[in-house]
Amino acid sequence: MLAYIVRRLFLMLVTLFGISVIIFVLLRIVPGNIVDILFDAAGYVDPADKANLEKELGLSDPIVVQYLKWIGGLLHGDLGYSYVSEKSALQEILPRIPITAKLAGLALLFSASIGIPLGVLSAVHQGTRLDYALRVVSLSGLSLPSFWLGLLILMASVSMLGWMPIFNPNPQTWAEAFAIYCIPAMAVGFRSAALTMRITRSSMLEILRQDYIRTARAKGASESSVNYHHALKNAVLPVITVIGIEAAFLIGGLIVTETVFNIPGVARFLVEALRWRDYPIVQNLVMLIAVVVVVVNFAVDMLYAAIDPRIRYGD
Amino acid sequence: MAVINFDAELRRAGAEATHGWRRLTFLAQRYLLGTIGLVIMVLFVAMALSADLISRYDPLAVDSAHRLAAPDARHWFGTDSFGRDVWSRIIYGARISLAVGLGSTALGASIGVIVGLASGYLSGWVDLLFQRITDILQSLPLLVLALVMTAALGPSLPNVIIAIAIPLIPTVARVIRANTLALRELPFVEAAKSIGMSEMRIALRHVLPNTLAPLIVLATAQLGSTILTEASLSFLGLGIPEPYPSWGRMLSESAAEYVRVAPWLVIFPGIAISLAVFGTNLFGDALRDILDPRQRG
Amino acid sequence: MRSVRALAVAALCWLSAYDVSLAEGPKSGGILRLYHRDSPGSASIHEGASYSFNVPFMPVFNNLVIFNQHVAQNSVDTIVPELAESWAWSDDKKRLTFKLRKDVKWHDGKPFTSADVKCTFDLLMGKSQQKFRQNPRKSWYNQVNDVAVNGDYEASFNLKRPQPALLSLLASGYTPIYPCHVSPAEMRTKPIGTGPFKFVEFKANESIKLTKNPDYFKKDLPYLDGIEFTIVTNRSTAILGFVSGKFDMTFPTEVSIPLLKDVKSQAPNAICVVEPSNVSTNIIINSSAPPFDNLDIRRALALALDRKAFISILFEGQADIGGTMQPAPAGLWAMPKEMLETIPGYGPDINANREQARKLMQKAGYGPDKHLQIKVSTRNIPIYRDPAIILIDQLKTIYIDAELDVVDTAQWFPKVARKDYSLGLNLTGNAVDEPDQSFYENYSCESERNYTNYCNREIEKLFDQQSVETDTEKRKKLVWEIDKKLQEDVARPIILHSRTGTCWQPYVKNVTVMSNSSYNGYRYEDVWMDK
Repeated sequence: MLAYIVRRLFLMLVTLFGISVIIFVLLRIVPGNIVDILFDAAGYVDPADKANLEKELGLSDPIVVQYLKWIGGLLHGDLGYSYVSEKSALQEILPRIPITAKLAGLALLFSASIGIPLGVLSAVHQGTRLDYALRVVSLSGLSLPSFWLGLLILMASVSMLGWMPIFNPNPQTWAEAFAIYCIPAMAVGFRSAALTMRITRSSMLEILRQDYIRTARAKGASESSVNYHHALKNAVLPVITVIGIEAAFLIGGLIVTETVFNIPGVARFLVEALRWRDYPIVQNLVMLIAVVVVVVNFAVDMLYAAIDPRIRYGD
Repeated sequence: MAVINFDAELRRAGAEATHGWRRLTFLAQRYLLGTIGLVIMVLFVAMALSADLISRYDPLAVDSAHRLAAPDARHWFGTDSFGRDVWSRIIYGARISLAVGLGSTALGASIGVIVGLASGYLSGWVDLLFQRITDILQSLPLLVLALVMTAALGPSLPNVIIAIAIPLIPTVARVIRANTLALRELPFVEAAKSIGMSEMRIALRHVLPNTLAPLIVLATAQLGSTILTEASLSFLGLGIPEPYPSWGRMLSESAAEYVRVAPWLVIFPGIAISLAVFGTNLFGDALRDILDPRQRG
Repeated sequence: MRSVRALAVAALCWLSAYDVSLAEGPKSGGILRLYHRDSPGSASIHEGASYSFNVPFMPVFNNLVIFNQHVAQNSVDTIVPELAESWAWSDDKKRLTFKLRKDVKWHDGKPFTSADVKCTFDLLMGKSQQKFRQNPRKSWYNQVNDVAVNGDYEASFNLKRPQPALLSLLASGYTPIYPCHVSPAEMRTKPIGTGPFKFVEFKANESIKLTKNPDYFKKDLPYLDGIEFTIVTNRSTAILGFVSGKFDMTFPTEVSIPLLKDVKSQAPNAICVVEPSNVSTNIIINSSAPPFDNLDIRRALALALDRKAFISILFEGQADIGGTMQPAPAGLWAMPKEMLETIPGYGPDINANREQARKLMQKAGYGPDKHLQIKVSTRNIPIYRDPAIILIDQLKTIYIDAELDVVDTAQWFPKVARKDYSLGLNLTGNAVDEPDQSFYENYSCESERNYTNYCNREIEKLFDQQSVETDTEKRKKLVWEIDKKLQEDVARPIILHSRTGTCWQPYVKNVTVMSNSSYNGYRYEDVWMDK
């Protein structure tokens, strides 16, 4: 077990190192840098000024030196500073994390509380009209672009309520807090709810076919006891896995949703920083996302291993 | 293993018919949702292919006299702020979505297959290296990777296809690798080896065909998500640039400005995206049911 | 008797009017909430080249002089003192002297003196130790030799030659006075000014907050307790926010005409004004390479434009046609309509123009069977991209098949500078309605912002001639002549001059939107809310 954990941790480091190299190189092959953008905004260029600024920002160093500076800084907890705001990258990124985390948390809560019950319902009533209807609903959830859903929600809320959930860092009332977090969370959580539902359904079905369920039935356990006590308990494991993985990957949906609802979280910040070629912000944000994904994957695997004795600690 | 035997499959399902049209109608009934999905997909492909015939206007033609016209007999889906016909733009948009969907799925899947086969069959350091690369690519969400890629490559149709294809590689490679590993141990591969077939031939002749089923399932499932990713990229302004009528961009920026004066500008492209993705998802689901017995519900 | 009664009535009226005015007099308090269209690159107005900087940060500063904030049409006659108490030109018109106020303090408590004035302009002229990262308006001060101080409260500008326009440049929202004791880098992140509002914080892509300056040198001002900008980049989200009452005011001069309709139907009480913004949509032509090195093809291009179609599509009819200078009545320097219509391409008969254009194209070797293939480059922003789409459509009428080449913002300027384009669609904003600013900046041979490298020494002489001219009427005639020549040379065809809307809730008072600049009207010291 210990050897397995050590091995996994080592692989995590290798992965993160790989990502850091890839993202760094990708950003440097992007044509145009922050200096071009700044001078573009000013509408003129003086080659001497430009060279000075590139030097000041460290963009004229060889790429390897730039990379080592960045990684060296990271190891000391120094993320560099934003080219645009000239504040430290940490100071720019940190306050945005809780906003996105809250949204993601709510979206997952929404996804689990809708997806699991409906998935169970669908499995228990397999082959019925209810099952069909639920499957169609879940597939449509996977088909709607979340930014479109967000746009429709905004349109509807303004034309029906004359009001819209626009972000406010200090919501005055409970209702406002609910609206500014929960509505976008639902818009983005709809998709993962659909996914959760599908996974719940299929793992429920698999377990309902297993021997011990037949045994339970044979021993005269009631239908609902079989379904909800025996089967659900075992079906929950893959569902947790999926929710865990979804948590890390929600960021994709959050990028567009934060844009539609104008929420100043990390996801939208990534797009803005990319537009400005604000390398320190983009690099560190991508690393942050990667760390979250890698750690969540690790945690899910550990959880799996801890709960399910059938898992071997191999690769 | 997923070796498909349709006859056995049909008999198992209780079909008496053994050939022809009746078999097809039986399948259609058994997998009703999948058939609906297939019909939707075929319609979209037909639409994209015959865009020149069924579009009523040049999708790029500006007409200042008929701006923001509501849907009517002349303009079925209305016109946008330039007076361009939305119906024609959606039809041509199907080409873009299809090109991106099929292009990036095909590209991602074929590279994924090569990587997966190589890594599963050759094992050793090749496997180790490819495994790490897949790890890396899998630790970034699809949209994040695609965003950075399009920013790096610049927005154009081929670049968007590449940017969306790359994140698909690891998913495909994983599945192919797992299948290859399992197949290697099977008796017919052993047999092939014993009669002196080369490793390369074994891989291509015996292993590859037998991984096709899961590959098809996976590729169909990914098709929908590539279309969605393209739409999201375009929505964020990093997708396929004007003048190509991409569904995602039709929804964004300028269109959103007219959202209340001309809601059809937001509604129709949104429906087009959702319907196309819904169709591929329905079909993909049915395909998985047919080809992947373990998942059968 | 009768007259006495009349007098009494009059007095009563006057009294009650007085009462009413007291009741309706400005109320103090409240935080004005606006949305901001994008996140400015920094908080330093001098280093910015877009009014995304001026709107949120003009309230932090003061100028030496400023355009009267409640007269929509900026002109030299509406300039009022601000940090200066008075100004005077020397007899040879080569020296402009300002007497400064003595009661002004920076937001950090340090006193304001003439040294700060000198520091600011030394920085702008690139003469000081410290440097701006960018200095987009350096050329405004080309005619200034130096700024001299005389004691703590007098500063004068010594000019190389008379330039009456200098005063107008100093009155722009782009020309705040910066403190000596704060570095340019600090000004980008935490600006210190003398203005009615103090800077509180700027969170990129999120918000900008200003709070009342209790020690403002103008008594009882400002009325507002603060101003808060929420950065909302998505235009429709922003408008929805205004309509639903989340914002007291839209971002000034940013509401497009189609959105304005939307606002009016959703929030009928909102007050909206539409004014010209002195921003022109124009075509930059690479005349140093084929095919546009051929004057015939350039002329054909100018003749092919249907300006009315652009205006009806992009502005629902609400925009103006003109030359380089902003059209009348809001513009001060526009040539008369009759003169404008004599310029090729400006005549009312579009079909005749295009017929002529096709002849020119045929002369150059193109025709129905041989189309010219080009690319129209522009930035990936709707206000740039949308007119380009129309342009491409119109070029079809003169045997030109154009393809849109959308360029990322980061690559646009380097591309233009490399001359790696044939046609570009561009927007040019003029901070001040003043020929010196627009001619030198956009058309003089040495200007860094002359993207097309158009260079005509003859016209350049005329630039100088109008610049030193002190008689306004004579100067106007010269300006018209120059503008006409520029259009006939197809130096940078002007498609249209835009108009934009600004809306606010009815309880917001004392907002004036400028009609010939979108860079100068945001001091907001006497804006108040009747709440």
